[in-house]
Amino acid sequence: MGPSRGRRYSLLALMLAGFGIILFRLVTLQVLQAAELTARADRQHQKSVTLEGARGTVIDRHGKVLAMNVEVPSIFGVPTSLDNPANAARFLSPVLHIRREEIEKKLRQEKHFVWLARKIEPEQGHRLEQLSIDGIGMVMEGRRFYPKGPLLAHVLGFVGMDGIGLEGLERRYETQLHGEKRMTILQRDALGRTVFPKGLREQVPAAGHALTLTIDEVIQYIAEKELEQAVDHSRAKSGTIIVLEPQSGAILAMAVSPRFDPNAVAALTADRWRNRALTDTYEPGSTMKVVVAAAALEERVMMPGSMLFGENGRMTVASTTIHDHEKLGWMTFAEMIQKSSNIGAAKTGMLLGESRLYRYLQAFGFGQRTDVDLPGEVAGLLKSPREWGRRSLASISMGQEVGVTPLQMVSAVAAIANDGVLMKPYVVSGMRDQKGQLVKETLPHVKRRVVSPVTARTLTTILEGVVTSGTGTKAAIPGFRVAGKTGTAQKVDPRTGAYSSALSVGSFVGFVPADSPRLAMIVVIDEPQGEAWGGVVAAPVFRRVGEQVLTYLGVSRDDQVKIAMVAPQ
Amino acid sequence: MKSVVITAGLCLVFFFVWERVDIVRLGYHIERLKAQKVLLERERDQLQVKFSALTAPERIAKVATDKLGMVPPQQGQVLIVHPQQAPPPSLEQVRIARTISTAKGER
Repeated sequence: MGPSRGRRYSLLALMLAGFGIILFRLVTLQVLQAAELTARADRQHQKSVTLEGARGTVIDRHGKVLAMNVEVPSIFGVPTSLDNPANAARFLSPVLHIRREEIEKKLRQEKHFVWLARKIEPEQGHRLEQLSIDGIGMVMEGRRFYPKGPLLAHVLGFVGMDGIGLEGLERRYETQLHGEKRMTILQRDALGRTVFPKGLREQVPAAGHALTLTIDEVIQYIAEKELEQAVDHSRAKSGTIIVLEPQSGAILAMAVSPRFDPNAVAALTADRWRNRALTDTYEPGSTMKVVVAAAALEERVMMPGSMLFGENGRMTVASTTIHDHEKLGWMTFAEMIQKSSNIGAAKTGMLLGESRLYRYLQAFGFGQRTDVDLPGEVAGLLKSPREWGRRSLASISMGQEVGVTPLQMVSAVAAIANDGVLMKPYVVSGMRDQKGQLVKETLPHVKRRVVSPVTARTLTTILEGVVTSGTGTKAAIPGFRVAGKTGTAQKVDPRTGAYSSALSVGSFVGFVPADSPRLAMIVVIDEPQGEAWGGVVAAPVFRRVGEQVLTYLGVSRDDQVKIAMVAPQ
Repeated sequence: MKSVVITAGLCLVFFFVWERVDIVRLGYHIERLKAQKVLLERERDQLQVKFSALTAPERIAKVATDKLGMVPPQQGQVLIVHPQQAPPPSLEQVRIARTISTAKGER
């Protein structure tokens, strides 16, 4: 064995050792550590992101946008990678409009991530981009915008910071409005750029459904403007106006005062954003006489010309005295409604009897929800005849001992306008997916017939008399036939538990034009100061809103000149 | 023959490499376009919100009254005209019309 052979073996051994090491390393990497290393590579190459489809838009009946989502910047800080938090806070403070000390305090925390400001204005984002501060980052988040400000706020509601509907339609239709959430894995390169993921076939998460409302933004504006004015003028606590189409139950406007801006709800309390049109009940007072009259006419207990004695303004029932606002003697049934006689209404109720009156109150929808597609609706208060006292029949006939919502009352009167058919009120007429395809359509829903068409028309004539020569003359709209009823109800003073002489609710409910109704409307003014009669505080609001809305809808006045297009001869 | 096979092989290798590179290049291009689409959609949404805010009836009424000095129409100042459907022409009218058109045709 020569030296050359020995070198050859040595070389061979060296090579084998080398290959052995490589093989060992290969087995270690590819077999023993395979799972861990694959996972590490995936972590570096892949980025999992949760994509969320945009929240659905809300539009009015003419396609005007009332609520929509826009991507806006949210600003975060990474305190662990900031060298000089004080300096960063000094630059950020004027852009974010947050105190410098507050920002600095957040940036000095021992955290990897802190929110500095969420869902800020796009312009602020642009300014921050230009500043380009190390350790300060920006992500885009969907923010809900209500471009019309306070318009329709009580119906629309609002969403929380996390984009979930908290009030109004936003809450009622949360499931349909919110976009689809989907987790997606993206491949990225060494620079962090996304590299052709399953890109071409990647499915973008679906946006939420868009809601089309029955509301008309112009009618809503008219109602809100007039209501604000009336509430201010009478220094009332609050007010409500509902305008609906009697034939379909579609709500055209629902105004509540005081208003609020859903773009800035953080500083407000629930009292401000509660939709009083369906969450608050009140004793309707004389507007309830519409239902009593309908029942009496339908049951043929009364005819428009039936005579009633007004007891000269005072009548004793169950050891209590019922008063009228004026001393009335003999009067017809129609005059009793037009002059809003409590005594006449009480007598009519007594003639009807407990079970019949109760049956009609239920049929007209009192004591139960209207099932309108808005959250928070209450059923009101309608006790069963078993719980009625000796005075209840008389009291309920004049609108006491019963709690109703403005929506219940306007629906009931709309049934008279609709030839005696009660419709279900609704706000959302349709739902469309992101491609614009109709997913769901709400069609008018008949609840039941409450009185015959003949009764409805007879009562309409009587209610026209309320406006032409009764308590509701201030609701008269020149050129149109208006039918309606005033209501003034004392409120129970929470301190004494008795009816207050100072607290009351003035209302007017009616429809126009009486012969071919286009609108049914209720105006409720809660706790007006000074003169509180419904005919004084609410009826003029009905006129002002009705006049403007009828003009807007292009409804001709009765005395309007009609121009016929006749072919030349 | 051998050189043809080698050339074809090389061509295949080059084609494969070129294809892979092009896929990556197009991938980046697609991503850039997607990002651009997102930005444009965001801008569109922002403009839509702005448009919606600017066309709010409350704002229009304010501009009309405060800036332009307009006032709401008073009672009786709005006349709504509904053109009524013309009644179908009588036989006499049809006859006259025919006579006129025939006379025109003759000229």
